Amino acid sequence: MAALPRLFGADAPRPGKHTWRHSLTRWLFIGISLTFLVAVLIAPLLTVFAMALAHGIGVWLHAFSDPDTLAAIRLTLLTAAVVVPLNTIFGLAAAWCIAKFEFRAKSMLITLIDLPLAVSPVVAGLVFVLLFGLNGWFGAWLQEHSISVIFALPGILLATMFVTFPYVARELIPLMQQLGNDEEEAAITLGAGGWLTFFRVTLPKIRWGLVYGVILCNARAMGEFGAVSVVSGHIRGLTNTMPLQIEILYNEYNFVGAFTVASLLTALAALTLLVKSGIDRAGYRRR
Amino acid sequence: MSITLDQVTKHYGGAPVVNDVSLDIGDGEFFVLLGPSGSGKSTLLRAIAGLTGIDHGRISLHGRDVTHVSARKRGVGLVFQNYALFRHMTVAENIEFALRVRRMRARRRRERRAELLRLVALEGMDERMPGQLSGGQQQRVAVARALAHKPEVLLLDEPFGALDAKIREELRRTIRQVQRELGITTVLVTHDQEEAFAMADRIGIMNLGRLLEVGAPHDLYTRPQTRFVATFLGAANLLLARRTADGIQAGAATLPTAERAAGEREHEVVAVVRPEEIELAPQRAQLTSGYLTQGMVDEVTFTGSLERLRVLPQSDSGGTLLADADGEARAMLHVTRSQYEQLGFAVQPGQTVAIGVRRLHVLPTPLSSFTACAADEAGAEALGRQPFLAELAARMKTRIALRVEPLWDSGAPARGADHGFVGITVLAAQPDGARHARWLLDRGATDVLLLPHEARAPQRVLIHWTQPSARAATLAAAASLLRHVAAEAVYLGIQPRRDDGAQPQGMRALLDARAEAQAAHGLDMRTELRVGDAAQELLRRLAEAPGQMLILGIGAAADCDGSLQPLLTGARWPVLLVRR
Amino acid sequence: MAASTRTFREPSVLPGFGLTFGFTTFFLSVMVLLPLAALVLVAASMHWLDFWHVVASPRALGSYRLSFGASLLAASVNAVFGFIIAWTLTRYDFPGRKMVDALIDMPFALPTAVSGIALTTVFARNGWIGRYLEPLGVHVTYTWIGVTLALTLISMPFTVRAVQPALAEVQRDLEDAAETLGAGRFTVFRRIILPTVLPALLTGFTLSFARAVGEYGSVIFIAGNLPLKTEITPLLIVIHLEEFDYRGAAALGVVMLAISFVMLLAINLLQAWGRGRLLRRRS
Repeated sequence: MAALPRLFGADAPRPGKHTWRHSLTRWLFIGISLTFLVAVLIAPLLTVFAMALAHGIGVWLHAFSDPDTLAAIRLTLLTAAVVVPLNTIFGLAAAWCIAKFEFRAKSMLITLIDLPLAVSPVVAGLVFVLLFGLNGWFGAWLQEHSISVIFALPGILLATMFVTFPYVARELIPLMQQLGNDEEEAAITLGAGGWLTFFRVTLPKIRWGLVYGVILCNARAMGEFGAVSVVSGHIRGLTNTMPLQIEILYNEYNFVGAFTVASLLTALAALTLLVKSGIDRAGYRRR
Repeated sequence: MSITLDQVTKHYGGAPVVNDVSLDIGDGEFFVLLGPSGSGKSTLLRAIAGLTGIDHGRISLHGRDVTHVSARKRGVGLVFQNYALFRHMTVAENIEFALRVRRMRARRRRERRAELLRLVALEGMDERMPGQLSGGQQQRVAVARALAHKPEVLLLDEPFGALDAKIREELRRTIRQVQRELGITTVLVTHDQEEAFAMADRIGIMNLGRLLEVGAPHDLYTRPQTRFVATFLGAANLLLARRTADGIQAGAATLPTAERAAGEREHEVVAVVRPEEIELAPQRAQLTSGYLTQGMVDEVTFTGSLERLRVLPQSDSGGTLLADADGEARAMLHVTRSQYEQLGFAVQPGQTVAIGVRRLHVLPTPLSSFTACAADEAGAEALGRQPFLAELAARMKTRIALRVEPLWDSGAPARGADHGFVGITVLAAQPDGARHARWLLDRGATDVLLLPHEARAPQRVLIHWTQPSARAATLAAAASLLRHVAAEAVYLGIQPRRDDGAQPQGMRALLDARAEAQAAHGLDMRTELRVGDAAQELLRRLAEAPGQMLILGIGAAADCDGSLQPLLTGARWPVLLVRR
Repeated sequence: MAASTRTFREPSVLPGFGLTFGFTTFFLSVMVLLPLAALVLVAASMHWLDFWHVVASPRALGSYRLSFGASLLAASVNAVFGFIIAWTLTRYDFPGRKMVDALIDMPFALPTAVSGIALTTVFARNGWIGRYLEPLGVHVTYTWIGVTLALTLISMPFTVRAVQPALAEVQRDLEDAAETLGAGRFTVFRRIILPTVLPALLTGFTLSFARAVGEYGSVIFIAGNLPLKTEITPLLIVIHLEEFDYRGAAALGVVMLAISFVMLLAINLLQAWGRGRLLRRRS
């Protein structure tokens, strides 16, 4: 027994424990977990890059020369540039209001903020079609003034905003509740005003949570498919975002093209996770 | 005065957490607010800092009324329990924060920072982050930060709570030193009595939102005015004794007291005996102090410098009784002895010893113990188990005796003499309540509590007396009771209706009553003036809302029969009748 | 001062309540409540027979069956595997644990269209995994199995992330205490661990289910989209929209929205139940 090597960080065997049984369950659990994750998650992720690079890096790069793909990338960046700052401001306001104060109807407000997460993205797109579409509430008026919302940029922005707006708020609310009000109260007894307290005390305190909320919101905004698909109209080079472009290319059996765009979005998702785990680790050091 | 609080009251969800607190703290004084958790002391401190609004009352700092001034503009320095340092700023940035807010020049900021770091003995730590400092150092930074803008008062909210014992002591010394050096008025909140003793010029003790007593540490320890303070500040044995013409009679001992008021009838009092004031000897003759009773040693614990003992006093020796069983079946005397005493007389558990009392202190409370009185044993027992009464007795650390009396046997002559009614006699409120109370009062009972079966702890206590002569006794009883009940006190002054208009007399009496309650008992009460028939006005007020109690001072037993009868007959509220 | 303690908001020394509360509710109303109200009102303007005709058509019923069935199945699969993964991540240390832990969040960040085409490729007849399943007679793509697989992937993090903190909170002391009292491993699991984790597991299950029911992007690539067989409800809404049948789309949208509300309610109740159990145990 004494000669048994210690497996990776395993607990020192407790007296009377059947150590072989202990490590059997342990490796069984780890094995099941990894197999499941490989089949469902890791294999598809690797496929994305394998397919994108199947014909070499040259072909991969060439796929970007497609003007429609470039237009889709531009539109996606524009969408994120508009939606993410707005949702960040909303998230900060909502988190301040919910985490710093006690008021009635607070739990209802939290539920309403969560609502877009539970609503199907297709329904999210649908509601804007019903409001601004040709037969929608404001449809006639919009047409009179020749403003297009549906099948145009404003619709894409609205649908994306609807789907992604809880992300910053949801990241900040628990963080601000957990950090408490002591530092803000200290700043106020030291003579600081509201804005100064917010910018000098609260914002630095929550900055990493905010960063994660923003990049997650960004990843969802760039990757939103269902809601945008309903309102965009799939006009090539005009109202196609990257995920929609993936669909079109895929349906045309242009797999390299589809997976090339997909590999960009996958890299963005991976970067998002990388930043998150970096923040988590930094967070442990700070506390 | 540096800090003046006037009738400060703060409610949370209807219940008062700070209840009518009035207090003056002098320039340069180190004041400690001491109390158990939930006593309202932290809320009071936050109210002084402006972090919590108050519902009623006024707060002044150096003569400036700051009740409606925001925390930003109050100019106080507050040190939080968990430091509340800005974790993303260096020590230097933390300390300079208040100066930066006030747009002070960088050079002057640096000078001030150096000065403060020297003061808290943290020179050279300027560029550290709070996370790199130990808990004690972080709290020093917090103190320096709170002092940076030269506040008029320094407030400390349990500043040592998160630190271990040794660092705690060191930091205590630092803070006391800084405070002396700057001469800054300081209020510290703590639940640790040792800390309070070590640091305070004066201590204010809070419980259930009320400021019970204020005084120098030594005075509060040796001459507490309330049971709560006596038992919260160090260990105390509470004895039920009798005040006689010769002095205080406790068990077999009669000790002379200086504080005896002349001309009072013999009555029961509550006496405090500190564990170190008890002497043990093998025989009565060997005691150097007044013999109390015999007792049996139950437990001996060695604690290093002191020996702690629990001694079971013999119950049948001369009526000495411990007021409180402390949740145990048998009431024990707590005794501590020095090494020197142990050498003189070593004891073992099970040994019978003679118990002597070197010194005792009589509490001025008129409420000593309860006697649940009913016509039969079952009734008395049921009454003794009444939830409000049981809770009150537990809070007052006193006991409930049971007694059977033929209450409605009015044929028995009114003897007027002492029939051994001591403390508060409790009666179940029945349709015959008034008659029963009268019967008891005629036979020498002084205070009678009429208790409805379903009564709960009240939220408001109404105070009234029918005769001016009952004022002092009623106020004393009310003050004593209200220390154990989280309720607001309202004095109802009721003037008979007259035709000649204004009644300046009534107002005067009202203000006098408030002043006396405040001065003699530390009891803050609201006052209301009504015009009309006393019983009718009281009835109307009691009927307004549930959860009220009445404390009624009367001149003579016969008063029960008169106009007050409707108040006592089948009362749905507890009534405490006070007669002196 | 007024002694009013029953106000809308507890007084606080921090500023900015009016500004932030106003902005939050305004933004919320314009962005969420107004559009959802439009949906409900459009559906309400239909004659109830027309409404019924749309939401109870055989095609709609078929789509419900698939959407709910596959979502329930996916949530159940996740409850089992999510629990095992959460257990592995909190209890065991192995090389690459941190990376696996980070990867769990991938479906949160990954666009659904990407997961859709990637899964289809991997499980296609000639895909990396599909080629081994094909001889066994298991067809994943363009069947209900593919739908379930896609839903499992996109809703997996919800269960793991719900269970993980609850598992971490089961104090090892508690288990050790049970063991010193003579409990076996299985008893410890059944009597100590499972009851503590159950509310979190149920919450995770419900979250997974809620997310899966509404999913669109990843499913349409793998499903084949045959009416009555592999057509999910969100797709049916899109089809109505493409035919410019706004009311039909709205009717189905209301059904989906109602499901979302029920799910949210269930999640809130479950979380309150979990908190309540914790509180009761502490008091």
